Amino acid sequence: MSPVFAIALNTFRETVRDRVLYAFFVFACSITVLGILLGSLSVGQDIRIIEDIGLAVIAIIGGIISVFAGTNLVYKELERRTIYVIFTKPVSSWQFICGKYLGLVGCIFVVVLAMGLFLLGLIWMVEPSHQVAQVPLLGASLGLVFLELLFVLALATFFSTFSNPIMSVVFTISLWFIGHLGGSLLDLSKMSTNAAVQQLLSSLYWCLPDLAQLTRIRSVLMYGREPSQEIIIYMLAYVFAYIFFLLGLASIVNERREFP
Amino acid sequence: MIEARGLSKDRVSSFLLRRSPILDGLSLSVKQGETYGLLGPNGAGKTTTVKILVGLMRPDRGEALVLGEKAGAQSALRKIGFLPENPYFYSHLTGQEFLEFIGQLFGLKKTELRDRVKQLLELVSMTVDADKPMRKYSKGMLQRLGIAQSLINDPEVVFWDEPMSGLDPIGRRDVRKILLDLKARGKTIFFNSHLLPDVSDVCDRVGVLAKGKLVAEDEIKNIVHSGGHKDLEEYFLEKVGG
Repeated sequence: MSPVFAIALNTFRETVRDRVLYAFFVFACSITVLGILLGSLSVGQDIRIIEDIGLAVIAIIGGIISVFAGTNLVYKELERRTIYVIFTKPVSSWQFICGKYLGLVGCIFVVVLAMGLFLLGLIWMVEPSHQVAQVPLLGASLGLVFLELLFVLALATFFSTFSNPIMSVVFTISLWFIGHLGGSLLDLSKMSTNAAVQQLLSSLYWCLPDLAQLTRIRSVLMYGREPSQEIIIYMLAYVFAYIFFLLGLASIVNERREFP
Repeated sequence: MIEARGLSKDRVSSFLLRRSPILDGLSLSVKQGETYGLLGPNGAGKTTTVKILVGLMRPDRGEALVLGEKAGAQSALRKIGFLPENPYFYSHLTGQEFLEFIGQLFGLKKTELRDRVKQLLELVSMTVDADKPMRKYSKGMLQRLGIAQSLINDPEVVFWDEPMSGLDPIGRRDVRKILLDLKARGKTIFFNSHLLPDVSDVCDRVGVLAKGKLVAEDEIKNIVHSGGHKDLEEYFLEKVGG
């Protein structure tokens, strides 16, 4: 077994055995159930509302888990001095970072899958005649949520290599939030008449993550339409390139660290 | 086998970035098959020395070599075992899972790993508690497991930082036995300890560190038998000015 897989398995085991994760899961399911109440207030849109609320809850709770698990990734190892045991074995910095990241990815996958199945069960409970044809669209939406969480996790992992958990949480949530405003920066730069401001805003747009496209694709899916393949491929390439970049930087930062 | 040449390391205070030395030109060498004890009062730089030798820290000046390689090089790490001071491991894992995890980091194959884990659990008398989560372990049990993980790759060189810490008299006797067994098998052992009678029992040679400098170094037989000292404690106190 390679060190990357061993660290991933160890991280996955440690995380899924943490009771806090189950508390989050129960909380997320409870809020999703509340969607039935809100859905009953609408006229013929109850399933839509349950789906919207369910997906939003999965994105938010999954995001919270990603942020907190990711930002504690290196800090917890330092605090518990387990890092001394890892880095005195033939494990390189990139193997450690990738292993920890993949372990948490596995955990987030389980969370998203479990909450997605719960949401699907709830939909069928409210409307047993819900069309089977709609299930792949819901699955694709969940896939996009998962993709976004992978990105958030990579951000949190990166920050955890050089700052304390509180600062890492602040940095990660800020960039995650800014990521959803990415398109607005480009629009603003086009609207500006000042060349310097235009340059500044468009540079910022290219440096900062742009997650707005993910939300747009999700909306298209929720209206029962299929987004174009080019956009899907572009988004997949964009998010994975960003993740590789962040994990690469995290490995370089970690490589230069000492463990006093 | 282990060589430190003029190792210096400074502590940089967060206020005004003032530097104070932790290690100040430390040079020592340990031969193959030798058991070397590094002694010194608290804050003398013993743990920093070990951390530099296993690659957790880098010296500001000087160099450290282990098995002819730069300390911390992957090829050197494959052949060494390290026990940190007051080890604490993953609370949600069992002792067995933890040892398996460490073995996997060395790329041990499944059957080899299973046999090695079983053997080590027996060696440190942890077989009965192997399936309990580590959060339920006492300090002594964690120390035993720490010793087991440091031996999973059958290392050529062992670095143990305070191996007797947290152990009851039976545990200390067991660790002494493991040390003597490793010594009999020709392993090179480098360890820090405050428990001078234990050091005296197992070491071939000791070095005394004070304020980051090696103030004395001699073979145990010279210290106790022909050095005019009653025991290692008297020698130690004389050298550190206690």
